[in-house]
Amino acid sequence: MLGDLKNSRIIIAKGFLFLVTGSIAVGLLIVDHPDVRTGLLLLITVWSFCRFYLLLVPRFPVPLAAFCIVAASLTQPLVTVADDGLDRIRLRGTLVWGADQEGGGPFIYPDPDDPSERIGFEVELAQLVAEHLGVKPEFSQGQWDKLPDLLDRGDIDLVLNGYEWTTNRAARYGLSIPYYIYELQLLGRAADPGLTSWDDLLKPVDGRKRKVSLLGGSAAQDYIERFGGDNIDMALFEGATDAMDATELGLSGIDANVQDLPIWLFYAKGFPKLRPIGEPVGRGYYVAMTRKTDQDLLRAVNEILLQALQDGRLHRIFAKYGIWNDTQMMRGLETDESGGFIGSPDPAADGETKDAAPVSYQPSGGWNVIRQRGGLLVRSAGMTILLSITAMPIAVLIGLLIALARLYGPWYLGKPAAVYVEIVRGTPLVLQLYLIYFLVPKLLDIIFPGMELTINAFAAAVMGLAINYSAYEAEIYRGGIQSIPRGQMEAAISLGMSRSLALRRIIIPQATRLVLPPMTNDFIALFKDTAVCSVITVVELSKQYYIQARSAGAIVELGLLTALLYLAMSYPLSVMTNRLEKNLNQERRG
Amino acid sequence: MIELTDIVKRYQQHEVLRGVSLRVATGEVCVLLGPSGGGKSTLLRTINGLESFDSGSIRVNDIVLNAAAGPERDEALLQIRKRVGMVFQQFNLFPHRSVLENVTEAPIHVLKQSRDAAVQNARRILARVGMADKENARPGSLSGGQQQRVAIARTLAMNPEAILFDEPTSALDPRTTAEVISVMTDLAASGQRMIVVTHAMSFARTVAHQVHILHAGRIAESGPPEQIFEDPQEEITREFLSEAARA
Repeated sequence: MLGDLKNSRIIIAKGFLFLVTGSIAVGLLIVDHPDVRTGLLLLITVWSFCRFYLLLVPRFPVPLAAFCIVAASLTQPLVTVADDGLDRIRLRGTLVWGADQEGGGPFIYPDPDDPSERIGFEVELAQLVAEHLGVKPEFSQGQWDKLPDLLDRGDIDLVLNGYEWTTNRAARYGLSIPYYIYELQLLGRAADPGLTSWDDLLKPVDGRKRKVSLLGGSAAQDYIERFGGDNIDMALFEGATDAMDATELGLSGIDANVQDLPIWLFYAKGFPKLRPIGEPVGRGYYVAMTRKTDQDLLRAVNEILLQALQDGRLHRIFAKYGIWNDTQMMRGLETDESGGFIGSPDPAADGETKDAAPVSYQPSGGWNVIRQRGGLLVRSAGMTILLSITAMPIAVLIGLLIALARLYGPWYLGKPAAVYVEIVRGTPLVLQLYLIYFLVPKLLDIIFPGMELTINAFAAAVMGLAINYSAYEAEIYRGGIQSIPRGQMEAAISLGMSRSLALRRIIIPQATRLVLPPMTNDFIALFKDTAVCSVITVVELSKQYYIQARSAGAIVELGLLTALLYLAMSYPLSVMTNRLEKNLNQERRG
Repeated sequence: MIELTDIVKRYQQHEVLRGVSLRVATGEVCVLLGPSGGGKSTLLRTINGLESFDSGSIRVNDIVLNAAAGPERDEALLQIRKRVGMVFQQFNLFPHRSVLENVTEAPIHVLKQSRDAAVQNARRILARVGMADKENARPGSLSGGQQQRVAIARTLAMNPEAILFDEPTSALDPRTTAEVISVMTDLAASGQRMIVVTHAMSFARTVAHQVHILHAGRIAESGPPEQIFEDPQEEITREFLSEAARA
């Protein structure tokens, strides 16, 4: 392979090929036809990325990085103008609403019949609101706890994702009237006779405090803290189904789970060894969330919620998912047109059969789930690859510049470069991504007030990854350049070369050969680190796995497939590293 | 004309060169001899700026190189380096380039010659140093003597007014030393101006026009080889020559 490297004409030819195929890959990304896209995209990106990595990173970082930036900006507009306000939603024709499908049913989750589509009562609520506004609903995936940030950024207009009404939230955001009144259900193992009431939770067993699994940051956690104080141990989970799983299996001494009632109603079938204990407690309200300034939007949302409550549409949606209960009547808002209270509207009156089984959790597994959802995972692997091959050359370019500044630059370049490396290496990637995604728009707003510029998630992800890895590449390059004997630079400048020409023609090409193996290692690491990008709404392979695995209950099958996909991406790189090392050793021996 | 005037160089307190002056005329071969640590290599390396110096000046034709750092010195150095080549003890060939590419690198990228012209010229020079059949080889696969001959070819391709040789045979065994010495002798015969730091006494004796004995940062004695070798005036010279003869 290095033999090819030696002939610059071949490199130019192959570089050109890469540009062509890369353009096709980017073109396919823009063409929004998922099935054609997935297969071709994967094939072409894998192939072209091999080409580019072998041939172009060491030789042509500048034009390649430029190309990647252009490609990235073609994929999605790099900088978009933030939208807000009801008028703008109407102008745009879409209501962009945010939720996290990883949270699962019955709120929003991949449709078991077509996992690329989403169902859930919040999907239907969004449909309801959008129809009322005369626009189309457009779903935007975001990590649950970051949804308010996305609202602030202007990425979405509305959050519909089981957010509870709290005074803090009401102070910061526009909160709608409750669309659902939830309660908390205590769940225990059917085989545990010692736990039959809430009070049993407070009683230690064999001198050990009872342990309850909870969704971190949820209303259930607040409730247990108030109810149990120091008498109950808590185990916090990120997914509701994970918490139930752990309780059913009794992992790490967990005795019980406290769950939002609608979640339990939806998932009960999947957890036959759990049973509800006592009456539901701790009533609270799920509300829709808008920016504080979007008063007109909030008013419209309230309008339609009230209408739907009164005409039974809300009842039907909740009944469909098996989560309608008498608690919903507590609002007393179910009135007829004259304003009189009518109690529970009868869905059967609208021609729906009352005893149709509600939609509920249907765990699936085996080949079936892989056939159904594997395609989605493969498609998300395309995003993983795209992120990596875009971020890596930029990281290498920045890293090289930083290394040169440290080695040869004057102090006013060298010192900041050293500080840059320390800061970037010393802080977590997830924090850097978060700052870039949420801070850059704020900075842009300060620099260009009133223009409402923002940065899209893909560009932010690429920037974050590139900056993070640039620190490591800088150190690798610095080591590589330092290990080139001093005589090489002396020989070069003795031939009349300027220092920069000598670096470009003599030192860096030799250093590149030395740094290729460690750089490839970093590339493999980068592949896996792309998983972190889900915090800023980029759905890549890992996030897609969590979404699909949780909704299908096929943690093992899809997990194996995901691992296999990661391996399929990193193994060729490992093979390449080995070959490069072998070639390098041969070249050294002469 | 290459002229060094009163060159002084210090490492912290230690004076390595204590006011050295010498001139080398066109077509002349100048050999610097002397015990290790006498400042020979350092002096040679000040001429093309691989070492700085603290006072004095260096003239290469109309270019003047002064001690003070700055853009003027950088510019003078760039000019000098285009006209004065250097051959190193450790060859310092570019290992990632073939023999031919080593020779064409600077003509193409520094002198901006066309690739065809540079390659044609390089082949002629490689033939002259007896390396024509190795043009596609990598430096790593060559013997030390072969590498040094390529290094000389690389310098010649810049058509230099002078070549500085920094102990060109010290890393070689006797047989390959002979190959390199013969190339250097051949160059001298063609009128190539050279300044040579070496321990190869026979080369100094038979090829040099001027020999300078450098000791403790000063020129102890200068003269044509017949005078230095047959009738040394200074005690230091006699001592050095008798030690060299014993070695």
